[in-house]
Amino acid sequence: MKTSAPVGLFDRVSSMLEIIDRLPDDMSDEELEGVLGMLPADVRQSMGAIFAPRVRKTSITFMKMIAGWLLGARRARLEGKKIIIVPFNFPPELIHAFDTMYPITSEILSTLGVMGLEGQGERYWDMAMGLGLPDHMCSSNTIELGSILGSEDFKPNAIISAAPGGCDVNAKIHEFVSHYLDIPQFILEKPVDDSVRGREQYSKYYRKLVADLEDFAGEELTEAKLRRVAEKANECTELCLELWDLHKAVPCPVPNIFSLFTYGVRFAMWGTDEAVGTLQEMVDLSKKRLEEKAYPAEKEVARCVWAYTSYYFDVPNFFNWMEENGFTHLGDGLDFFFPQYVDTSSRDTIIEGMAESAWNMPMTRQVGGESMSVSWMEDVIYACRELGANCAIFCGHHSCKQTWSVASILRTELMKRTGIPMLVLQGDAWIKRMTPMSVVQDEINEFIRNVVTRKRRGRGRGVRTTGEA
Amino acid sequence: MRHITEQASVIENEYVRGWKGEGRKVVGFACIATPVEVIEAAGLLPYRLTALGNPSTEIADAYLSRFNCGFCRSLLQLGLDGTYDFLDGLIETNGCDHLRGMFENWQYVKPSPFFHYLKVPHITTDDALDYFRVEVRLFKEAVEKHFGVEIKDDDLWRAIENQDEVRERLRKVFAMREGGNPAFTGAETLSILLFSSVVPAEASIELIDRAIEERKDHQPPDFRARLMLCGSASDEVDLISEIEGVGGLIVTDALCYGTRAFWKVEKESDDPVVALADMYLKELLCPRMFDDYPRRRDYVLSAVERAAVDGVIVMHNKFCDVHGVDNVHLRMDLERHGIPVLQLEKEYGAKADFGRIRTRVQAFLEKIGDRRKVGDRA
Repeated sequence: MKTSAPVGLFDRVSSMLEIIDRLPDDMSDEELEGVLGMLPADVRQSMGAIFAPRVRKTSITFMKMIAGWLLGARRARLEGKKIIIVPFNFPPELIHAFDTMYPITSEILSTLGVMGLEGQGERYWDMAMGLGLPDHMCSSNTIELGSILGSEDFKPNAIISAAPGGCDVNAKIHEFVSHYLDIPQFILEKPVDDSVRGREQYSKYYRKLVADLEDFAGEELTEAKLRRVAEKANECTELCLELWDLHKAVPCPVPNIFSLFTYGVRFAMWGTDEAVGTLQEMVDLSKKRLEEKAYPAEKEVARCVWAYTSYYFDVPNFFNWMEENGFTHLGDGLDFFFPQYVDTSSRDTIIEGMAESAWNMPMTRQVGGESMSVSWMEDVIYACRELGANCAIFCGHHSCKQTWSVASILRTELMKRTGIPMLVLQGDAWIKRMTPMSVVQDEINEFIRNVVTRKRRGRGRGVRTTGEA
Repeated sequence: MRHITEQASVIENEYVRGWKGEGRKVVGFACIATPVEVIEAAGLLPYRLTALGNPSTEIADAYLSRFNCGFCRSLLQLGLDGTYDFLDGLIETNGCDHLRGMFENWQYVKPSPFFHYLKVPHITTDDALDYFRVEVRLFKEAVEKHFGVEIKDDDLWRAIENQDEVRERLRKVFAMREGGNPAFTGAETLSILLFSSVVPAEASIELIDRAIEERKDHQPPDFRARLMLCGSASDEVDLISEIEGVGGLIVTDALCYGTRAFWKVEKESDDPVVALADMYLKELLCPRMFDDYPRRRDYVLSAVERAAVDGVIVMHNKFCDVHGVDNVHLRMDLERHGIPVLQLEKEYGAKADFGRIRTRVQAFLEKIGDRRKVGDRA
């Protein structure tokens, strides 16, 4: 029997998750240290941060959910199921409803690669560049898709693109992967039209997608199958809304890293028991911290809404560093999917409810709107007001040209309408080569010390700030 | 020909000035998915926005970022610095993310008296076609309402015929350019195309007819290879002159300001709005159509054959996503067919980039020359 070390991102990440899947549900510091000691430096750093004592039990639950999802893909392949690559802005519960298909989300895999692999997935980015793809591709999916294109890795049977209308660069790489691998591409276009006609058109596209997927799978999506995931999706919605409300408390009882966990659940496992279990633990821990008024720093200095993505290549020095310095991360643009309950009374209402969820997925909902700036601005302003933020930060992910093209409008309007300042950073959210985390930290520090806290000392325009709730 | 070249090299050309002098209105658009016939049928002048290689972006950079393509930043610059103040209206399309951002910022900073957003699907399914037919109808109604005119079917058919006549001339220019003895250089052809998109149809027809007549027995300049140029929106005549200056004669193209704008016209309905919608969406040879790569590839391959091309340059502006990725596809497919290909990324309007591009093209021409010597062309 031939054995060799896995070389593709999927295979390497799933090997790592096999280990995590075997961890006990709770671990002492000594046990964790023993486990981390076996891991390469890059992985040890990320995992050490994720498993910080204050969030360890929930993090293990989350990571086990992710492990179950990814190992489930391997099992599904062995069982002859079709593996469908989906983007982050496509609600995976539709694919979970099939018995014969299984979703893997490219952005989650890229993020896991960046957080959990030695070399942080950069080799897969380089593989994509080696094909001649432009260096302004989006690393969020090009890292994973680079692995599929350029290495011996787990290959999907089809790809869904929900990017047309919301993001050109994503839509183009989906098209490229489809042709390069000679696999079908299923497109869910978002009309850039906020009118009733636009919404109805989206429903038509969504229903056609469902029918096309049924044809591809050779399986009918019955009402019972759809209801199974829709009911679980509703439970997820309930918990997610509870978590949103918990963010409003001062100091914020929700750990920074839960922003990432929330959309990790949304993009991979929404509509499953595992998702419900993970969200429940996140809510429970946040409630406990609320009761105990627990906060990682001496005081909450700033409450930040991240206007679009966060940074993912250095978890300890981003999420953990922020909260240890009193900078609460109230969520980022990827958390802005505003879940709603799906009416489960019939097959038709469930599909319509799922279409509504898809319409409200991040990016689709904001820059895929009729106006790229208005829809996005409304969500950021809503989040800032609802969650009592006193600052916003745009991470400035290089590839994200649509947000970059209207970021100045967002910054101006946010200040004009709420008095909240927005810091504009530049970097690649998934690749450390572009802007080092030390620079990101310095800029955040300067901004909070010189702009946010100074405003709070009397220059603000009536914005609720920490300690005034 | 000289008159065309001169008029194509200025934003507010003498035809625009004459038109405005008569108290008539001009409406700007940027994307080839815009059915200009609707604008023309309303008695307005459709004007395709160009930046003509304008390298200044200092005002635009306060709004768009350096991660947005230089072409859109240049357009925004001209919109905000007053160059385009002669426009009485703007038509936005969702051609690409950069273009959307350009229009949003233009409207945000300096709103146009008339602004309409024509939403163009990225796919051509029956549902998408139905949607776009309504979009074109809404576009027509918006023009009627704002400019206080009624556009009758006959007006639309007349405008369609006018534009067909322009397209017919452009096809003729291309036939003369693609033949064994190219009658127009690539730079001249781009000037003709730019000219035809910023002047009234009648002027286009008359002037292009004259140019065709003038070039009947024309001998082309010396050249080393017949090239095809594909890629991003480019209205940079100078850049093409640079390529041709080192011996690479551009004999055909698949450019947004080139053949893609006029190549095929098929009308399949008695309703002019439906005919226009179908024609524009189905024939949109643009990488922003995300399920249509095979048609774009086949178009390029057939042009290579038709124009007896020795090599293809696929070029995109820095940060142009749709062409940046499509060009990789094209390069792979062209190479698979044994056709020499040069993939270039460039900064829009940057004259400083010309030296680098000239060197790359010279190397490419040498490669083609070597290939021709050993006779291994597929």
